[in-house]
Amino acid sequence: MAYQVSIFLENKIGHLRKITTLLAENQINIRTMNLTHTSNDWGVLNLIVDFPDKAHQVLNSQNFSVALREVIALEMDDHPGGLDNLLGKVEAAGVNFTNAYSRILKAGGEAFLILDSADTEQAREKLKKLGLAPLDDETVYGK
Amino acid sequence: MFWERNIETLEKDQLQVLQSERLARTLNQAVQAPFYKKIFEEYQVDPKKIKRSSEIKNLPFTTKQDLRDNVPYGLLTIDQKEVIRLHCSSGTTGNPIVVFHTRHDIDSWSNLMARSLFAAGVRDTDVFQNICGYGLFTGGLGFQYGCETLGCLSIPAGAGNTARQIKLMQDYGTTAIHAIPSYLNRLHEFIVAKGMDARKDLKLKKMMIGAEPYTEEQRVRIQEMFGIKAYNSYGLTEMNGPGVAFECECQSGLHIWEDAYIVEIIDPKTLEPVPDGEIGELVMTTLDRHAVPILRFRTRDLTRIIPGKCDCGRTHKRIDRITGRTDDMFIVKGCNVFPMQVEAVLLQIPEVANNYMIKLETINDNSEMIIEVEVLSNWFRGDIARLDGLKKQIEHGIRNEVLVKPIIRMVEAGSLPVSEGKAVRVQDLRNLN
Ligand SMILES: [Zn+2]
Repeated sequence: MAYQVSIFLENKIGHLRKITTLLAENQINIRTMNLTHTSNDWGVLNLIVDFPDKAHQVLNSQNFSVALREVIALEMDDHPGGLDNLLGKVEAAGVNFTNAYSRILKAGGEAFLILDSADTEQAREKLKKLGLAPLDDETVYGK
Repeated sequence: MFWERNIETLEKDQLQVLQSERLARTLNQAVQAPFYKKIFEEYQVDPKKIKRSSEIKNLPFTTKQDLRDNVPYGLLTIDQKEVIRLHCSSGTTGNPIVVFHTRHDIDSWSNLMARSLFAAGVRDTDVFQNICGYGLFTGGLGFQYGCETLGCLSIPAGAGNTARQIKLMQDYGTTAIHAIPSYLNRLHEFIVAKGMDARKDLKLKKMMIGAEPYTEEQRVRIQEMFGIKAYNSYGLTEMNGPGVAFECECQSGLHIWEDAYIVEIIDPKTLEPVPDGEIGELVMTTLDRHAVPILRFRTRDLTRIIPGKCDCGRTHKRIDRITGRTDDMFIVKGCNVFPMQVEAVLLQIPEVANNYMIKLETINDNSEMIIEVEVLSNWFRGDIARLDGLKKQIEHGIRNEVLVKPIIRMVEAGSLPVSEGKAVRVQDLRNLN
């Protein structure tokens, strides 16, 4: 089960950098990121890192509002039609998601897609029925 | 069960007759004071021409500033040898105001206080611990004399020294207490820290609370902590002190004793009366005080008359818990807003609780009310949907309460100043010129 680190963030200059600096100082590697901003002055930063628990603890100790959130990582190919092919299967499984972002593991080779669903458990079951197993944590975290 | 059935259940028309008689007497008395003598001349008021309590509207208001300007003897109507006590209000700005009492005044006040306690269910069999400052502050001696008049075993414990308070409660089996709500929180923390259970290890049956602003939610929390009822008390030094208005056992508003006071609720801007049920400034006239009668005193406290009759059978009007002070009121989009109304909404939302700030800003030439809420780790789960839902919930709640749609700003944890429980969290940043 992969976890994303979600941090509440005000849309102000320097706020994002404070987080990346803190993680850098603690030798935490950011594998991929995604920033969702609403029409308001705030948003949520989502990170896939090599050590989510440590990142959570470090950010929490600096008084950030941070949560560990379970997500689903699915393998896909880094070539034309790779994402389309995967989304076709997700659609067939009837899985709804509220956020999605990706990372390439090897150019022209593998990549993975992160899906954030309101009901991760149920989404995982649905995907499993179509033979789509989530990627192992080691690959996602890059260990 | 009444302390004085005939007075407390007097029909409206008879109550008005009594008020009119007493008002005439009060005006005759008031004119003996240098301040009112001057005012009556200035406004060409002939006290003899005011025959009915409803005609009180022809008199000018008395403000806190008037009292301050006439310290020490400007409002005293009689020879100082008749005076047996004085009380001062805590003056944070300028002169503290002073009120003198004759023996009649003290007896009348003690009786009102006993009547109030009786209405809240206190009896002569109770052991009453008054946890509040004695001395110039009226909460100490006011409750003390009321308890003695009622016949309770009174414990004049005074304020502070929590360990001793609890020891007194244990040693003498205290059944009723009077304290400010914030102290009751501290008292309860102390009880828990000592490994005691307030519900089991003490004999408390009821609490009287007042003398500082608090919300209904705070009262409910205090009742839950101790497992007993807490009754609201209202009073102010200018009108004696405690015993002006008190909750009966129905806990549906505070009966304000109309044989001793004429009560008006006015719009603080237009100074016109507001209909029953609407919030406005409480204005009071003493009807049974000899040394220092005060006419149409603007209390600056905001409340409303609760329409309808109380189930207890008392006919005296009920006022609501004080909603705030006229000094705190602000106007946004043409609506009068009292911070406590906003606070009451926010306290009901667990995610918000005490982590908010009300800001007034000018945005695109419009006056806007902004509510800043801290997003805290203990409820943040990383989803935007929940934040949006919370935003809508706050917007909706506040709009229903004060008729102004606020702008909700979610801010990072630690962005808001740490405030003391009592501070009013409003910042007015508007360019009002
Ligand atoms: Zn009642």
